[in-house]
Amino acid sequence: MFDWRLILDAIGILIYALIVGFIFMGIERKAMARIQRRIGPPIYQPIIDTLKLLGKKESVSHGFVYNFGPVFALGVSITALLFIPIANFQLFSSNADLIVVAYLLEVPMLGIMLGAMSSGNPYSALGVQRGLLTMVAMQLPYGLAIIALVQHWGTFKLSQLVALQQLQGWSITVPALALAFIVFDIVFQALLGLEPFDIITAPAEISMGPMVEYGGKHAALLFTQHAVQLFAETAFFAVLFFGGASNLLDLFLKQLLVLFIAIFVASIYPRFTIDQAAKFFWKWPTIIGIIAVLLTV
Amino acid sequence: MTLVPEAYVVPLTLFSPLVFGVLAWLFDRDWVRETLGVIGAAVPLTVLSLAYEKASSGTISYTIDTGVFKLHFVLNSLSWYFAFIGALVGIAMAFGLSSTSRRGYDWLFSLMSFTGVMGVFLARDFVSLFLFWELMTFGSFMMVLRRNRHESLKYFVLSVIGAYSMLLAIGMVYAKTGTLDYAMASQTLLLLTKMGGVSKAYVDTIFALFLLAFGVKAGVVPLHVWAPGAYGENDQSYTSFFSGVLSKAGVYGFIITLFVMPSLYGIYFAMGTFHGHLTGTYLIAWAGAVTVVVASFLAVLQEDIRKLLAYSSVGQVGYIILALGVFNGVAVGGAMFHVLSHAMFKGLFWLISAALILRTGKTRFEDFGGLAEKMPVTFAMALIAVLSLAGIPPMAGFASKWLIYEGAIQAHMPLVAGTIFLGSALAFAYVVRFLYAVWFGQRPSDLDDVREAPLPLLVGMTVLAIPNIVFGIAPGLAVRLINRFFNTNITVNSYYSISTPTGTYNALSVTLVLIVGLAIAGLVYIYGANARKIKVTNTYQSGNPVTEEYNLVIRRNFYRPLAEALDFWLKYSWDRFYERLANLSEDFADWLREGFYNGNVQSYSWYLAIILLILAIWGVL
Repeated sequence: MFDWRLILDAIGILIYALIVGFIFMGIERKAMARIQRRIGPPIYQPIIDTLKLLGKKESVSHGFVYNFGPVFALGVSITALLFIPIANFQLFSSNADLIVVAYLLEVPMLGIMLGAMSSGNPYSALGVQRGLLTMVAMQLPYGLAIIALVQHWGTFKLSQLVALQQLQGWSITVPALALAFIVFDIVFQALLGLEPFDIITAPAEISMGPMVEYGGKHAALLFTQHAVQLFAETAFFAVLFFGGASNLLDLFLKQLLVLFIAIFVASIYPRFTIDQAAKFFWKWPTIIGIIAVLLTV
Repeated sequence: MTLVPEAYVVPLTLFSPLVFGVLAWLFDRDWVRETLGVIGAAVPLTVLSLAYEKASSGTISYTIDTGVFKLHFVLNSLSWYFAFIGALVGIAMAFGLSSTSRRGYDWLFSLMSFTGVMGVFLARDFVSLFLFWELMTFGSFMMVLRRNRHESLKYFVLSVIGAYSMLLAIGMVYAKTGTLDYAMASQTLLLLTKMGGVSKAYVDTIFALFLLAFGVKAGVVPLHVWAPGAYGENDQSYTSFFSGVLSKAGVYGFIITLFVMPSLYGIYFAMGTFHGHLTGTYLIAWAGAVTVVVASFLAVLQEDIRKLLAYSSVGQVGYIILALGVFNGVAVGGAMFHVLSHAMFKGLFWLISAALILRTGKTRFEDFGGLAEKMPVTFAMALIAVLSLAGIPPMAGFASKWLIYEGAIQAHMPLVAGTIFLGSALAFAYVVRFLYAVWFGQRPSDLDDVREAPLPLLVGMTVLAIPNIVFGIAPGLAVRLINRFFNTNITVNSYYSISTPTGTYNALSVTLVLIVGLAIAGLVYIYGANARKIKVTNTYQSGNPVTEEYNLVIRRNFYRPLAEALDFWLKYSWDRFYERLANLSEDFADWLREGFYNGNVQSYSWYLAIILLILAIWGVL
C-alpha cells in the first residue's frame, strides 16, 4: 500500500526545497543590495530571521481564522510543491496536471488573505484588495501563456511536458512559446510579488499590506511559506519553459536563472499603482499572449 | 424499488410538491404549513433515490392523456440526474423556507415552480415541456411580484419573450413534422432537411428561437438583466432553488436542442464551420464566455450581497453554457458536472444570505461586519461555499471547472479558455469581498446581539454543504453518473480519480497531500510559542491609535481601483439600454395615444370615415 520510496523522496525534496527556498530569498536580498551598491545581509539571513521569529516568547492572535490563514497557506504551498516533478523525482505529479498545480500555486495567497482580513487592520484590507486585483489583472495573460503551452505540446501532464521537451527541445526554442515565455515572465514578476508589481506588500505605502499584523510564529510560518512557494514557482517555471531538469543541480541553475531575471527586472523598475498594473496587464502581455495562442492553435 | 411501484414514480415526483404546496396554502398555520411543505419537497427526493437503479439501467415512462394531447414523461439517466439535483436543492429550500417564510403564499408558489422544473426535466414532448415551463415561470414570477413590482415586470417581459419564441419554435416544428415528441420530431426534421422539404433558414430559425427561449432562463448576456433583480428581490431561501435549479432548466433546454434532438445537432454541421469549429456551437461558446466575463466583473463591483450572488450565478451558468458550446466530450461532461456543483454551492450561498438577512435584516456590505464570532456554523458553511465556488481543490467546484478547462483547451478554443481563467480570478475576488465585508473586521454596534441561524436553515445548509465535499473528493461518482447518458471521453479510474485524454486529477491524493501539508504547517504552529488573543481593534496604526468609534474596515467601494480601470466599459449597461428602450416605446405610445384620442369629435368621425373607406377598398363592405 505504502510506497516508502515515494514518501522518503517527498520528505527529502521538502527539506531540500525549504533550504534552497530560504537561500533564494537570501540571494534575492543580496543581489538587490549589490545592484544598489550596498553590502547586503549574508545569504543565510532569512533562515536566521525565521528561527528568531520562531523563538519569540509570545505572539498575538486575532482569532481562529487569523491563525489558520498562514497554516493553510504553508500547507497548500507544500501540496503544490509535491505535485511538481522536481528534477528526476516524479513525486506525486502523475496524480495531478498543469491546471491543478497552477491552481494550487495560487491558493496560498487566498490563505494569507483570509488570515490578513480577519485581523481587521485597514492596511491588511488594502493589501488584500490590491492582491486580488493584481490576480484579476494578471490572470488573463497567465492563462493565455499556459494555454499556448498546452496547445503546442498537447498534454496537461507535467511529467509528459518534461519528457516531450527533452525529446524535442525546450519550450522557449519554439517561436510561439518564446512569446508565451515573455508573457509568463512578466506575470511571474507579479506571482513573486516583486517590482514593478509589489503592489500587494508595498512596504513604504501600506506597511507590508497583508503581513502587517503578523509577528512571531505566524510570521515565521509566512516566511517558510514564502520559501517553499519561491522554490515551487521557480521549479514550475523551469518545468514549463526550460525542459525541467534531469538532476537537482540542473534544476538549481535553471531556477537561479529565472530568479535572477526577476531580480534584475525588480531592481530597475519602480512600482505601478494598481489600476496602472491592470491596464498594463490587459494591454501588452495580453496582446502578446493572444498572438502566442493563435500561433499554436 | 418495490417500495414505490414503477407506475407511481413519475407522478409522485411531478405532483407531490404542487399538491403539498396547495395544502400548505390552505392550512396556513405555523408548523402545519412547514411540515406539509417539507414533506412535499422530500417526496421527490425519496422517490428519485429509490428509483435510481431502475432509471440508470432503463427508463420509466409515464403518460397523461388529456384528451387533446398526450403528455409523455420519461425518467432515464439524463432526466434522473437533473431531477435529482433539483430535488436535493428543493429539500434544502424547503428547510430554508421553514425559517425564513411565514406565509402560505410563498410555499404555494415555490413548490409550484418545483413541480414545474421537475416537469421540464422529465418531459419528452414539446407540449409538456411548454406547460411545465410556464408553470415554473409563473411560480417564480409570483414570488418576485410579491416583493418588487418593477423587478417582477422585468422578469415577466423577458420570460414572455422567451415563452413566445419557444411557442413559435414548437409551432414551426409541428407545422413541418406533425409531431411533438422530441425523438420523432427530430427524426422527421432531419429527414425533411435531407430531402429538401425544409429550408436551411427555417431550421436555423427554429434553432435560434429555442436558444433565445432557453437563453433567457439561463441568463445569458444580454438576456440576463432580469436575474439580479429577480434573484435579489425574493425570499432568499427560495432563491437557492431559483438560481440553483431554475437556471439549470435553461441549461437543460440547451442540452435538449444540442443532444436530445439530433436533427438540430445535424444542423450544426449544416451551418458550416468557422476556423474548424462548428459555427452554431462556437456562437454558444462565445455567448457563454461573454456571460462569464461580464457577469463576473459586475459581481466584483456590487455593493449588495444579493446582487453579488445574483451576478455570480449568471456568471457561473455562463461557464456551463460555454462548456456546452465547446462541444467535446470532456467539456460537456464538465458542463454537466458544473450543473451539479453550481447547484450545490450557489444554493448554499443563497441559504447563507437568507440566514444573514433573517438575523440582521441588512443586505448591503457596508452594514455588515465581524459576524464570524456570532454565527460560527454559518461561517463554516460560508467557507465551504467560498472554497467550492473559487474552485479550490478538493471541492466539487474545482473538479467541474477542471474538466471545463481541459475541454476548452483541448478543443483549441484558446480565447474562450482564456476567459475561464479571467472568470476564475474574478470569482476569487468577489468571494473574498463577501468574506471580508460580512464576516471579518470590526462589528457595527447594532449587530452585537445577532444570533446563530435557526436550526432548519442550518439543516438546509448542511444538505447542500455535504455534496460539495463528497463530489469534490470523489469526482468519479458524478462522472460515472454523467457517463451513463453521455459519452464524455472522461475515464473514471476510481471514485477519486478521473482522467481526460490529456490530463489527470486524483482528488484523493490531492486531499491527502493537502492534509499532510496542513499537518506539517500545523505542527510548526503548535510547537511555536503560545498566542495571546487580542481585540480586533488592537492593530498596527502607524503609531496613531484610533479610538473605537472609528470603523476602519473598508466596506464600501472595496474594488474601487478596478472600477477606475474599467470606467470606459462601465458606461455601457444592458440594463439601462433596455430601460431606455422601454421608456422610448412608452413615450411613443403616449404620443400615439395623445395624437389620436385628442377629444375632438370631428377627428373621431374622420377615423371612422377612413376605416370605412379602407374596408370598402378591401372589398369587405
